[in-house]
Amino acid sequence: MWRVVPGQLLAFREWDGEAVLYNDLSGNTHLLDGGAVEVLLALHPAPLDAATLAARLADRFDAEGDALAAAIEDMLRDLAGLDLVESLPC
Amino acid sequence: MLTVADLPQCELAACLAGPGLVLRTGPFANRIRSDIPQLVDGIALLYADYPVDAPGGFADFHLSLQRAGGLRRFFRPQVCFSHEGATPFQPLPLAQAYPMFEWVMNWCVSHRAHSYLIIHAAVLERHGRAIILPAPPGSGKSTLCAALVTRGWRLLSDEMTLVRLDDGVVLPLPRPVSLKNESIAIIRAYAPDAVLSPPVENTNKGTIAHLKAPPASISRAGETAQPAFIVFPRFEAGAPLTLAPMGKARAFMGVAENAFNYQVLGMRGFTALGRLIDATAAYEFRYSKLDEAVQFFERLARDGA
Repeated sequence: MWRVVPGQLLAFREWDGEAVLYNDLSGNTHLLDGGAVEVLLALHPAPLDAATLAARLADRFDAEGDALAAAIEDMLRDLAGLDLVESLPC
Repeated sequence: MLTVADLPQCELAACLAGPGLVLRTGPFANRIRSDIPQLVDGIALLYADYPVDAPGGFADFHLSLQRAGGLRRFFRPQVCFSHEGATPFQPLPLAQAYPMFEWVMNWCVSHRAHSYLIIHAAVLERHGRAIILPAPPGSGKSTLCAALVTRGWRLLSDEMTLVRLDDGVVLPLPRPVSLKNESIAIIRAYAPDAVLSPPVENTNKGTIAHLKAPPASISRAGETAQPAFIVFPRFEAGAPLTLAPMGKARAFMGVAENAFNYQVLGMRGFTALGRLIDATAAYEFRYSKLDEAVQFFERLARDGA
């Protein structure tokens, strides 16, 4: 399970499939793929696992099923490296 | 309105040595005190057209550049800078007093003026369109800026673009344009009538001279400008002129990297920079011939993107 780091506002601007996101907890600004913003917004209301995110976002990406879940899992690990999301013990 | 040129040089020197000269640059009032003759000459030459306020008036910044005391008055004399009693920099050789003055004027703004997003960028206006040129040193930004200024562009700033946080307009801060090393001879050849300060050698940036800002730009220092373009320039010897559109998110990051206080402003900086990116088209620009570059910018300002 993954969640957006509590307190994170997810302030972002998106143009032509690329986005900048202001991490109000760290003060850093990140250049993100638009897909990463989709994942963050889907995850914001409540914790989810990669498979559930993949099912919800299948129509937004050119992939589905296990392949999409694996790609989202990789993306979540990258976002965790930016302190935007964190994994929860199952 | 009283300007520096209205003061006889002896009165200017007395003012600087005594209560201080309150010099208006863009939105700022700077109280400057100094006992250094080179600085009096430099201010008389390059700031002749700038307004001065009464000595007792409000000042945003309080700068003092004085000769070092003791034996340093005689042995390798130095200039010391202090700001409101603090001394943030090491003294420099006395011959570098004028470049130091310009650097500390920049320092005051970049460290204190946080009601603006301050971008390390030249900004100029033509045909009602302001073009922001963010760039690290060595990109040819100041040379390009100086060339455009000598061809009738309004100088808003050579070094610091002030974007007002509330509404995103650019506030002019026209000051002398800093030229380094070979750029000095290039601009002398390009604009033989341009007024330049005497070159100062062996600074930590090499040889430095300053180009006087056009009087028309100084007299319009109260008129804000609408940003239209952000152009990241790069001088590359022998390269053909190219202009490549930049994605807005990448332009955002490029400007943030070149901003003095983006991090300091936090969410306000993020919002202001987003608005600036919305309002402008961004490009990467490569050039090797100054004439070509100036003609290109004329077309860009006249016709738009």
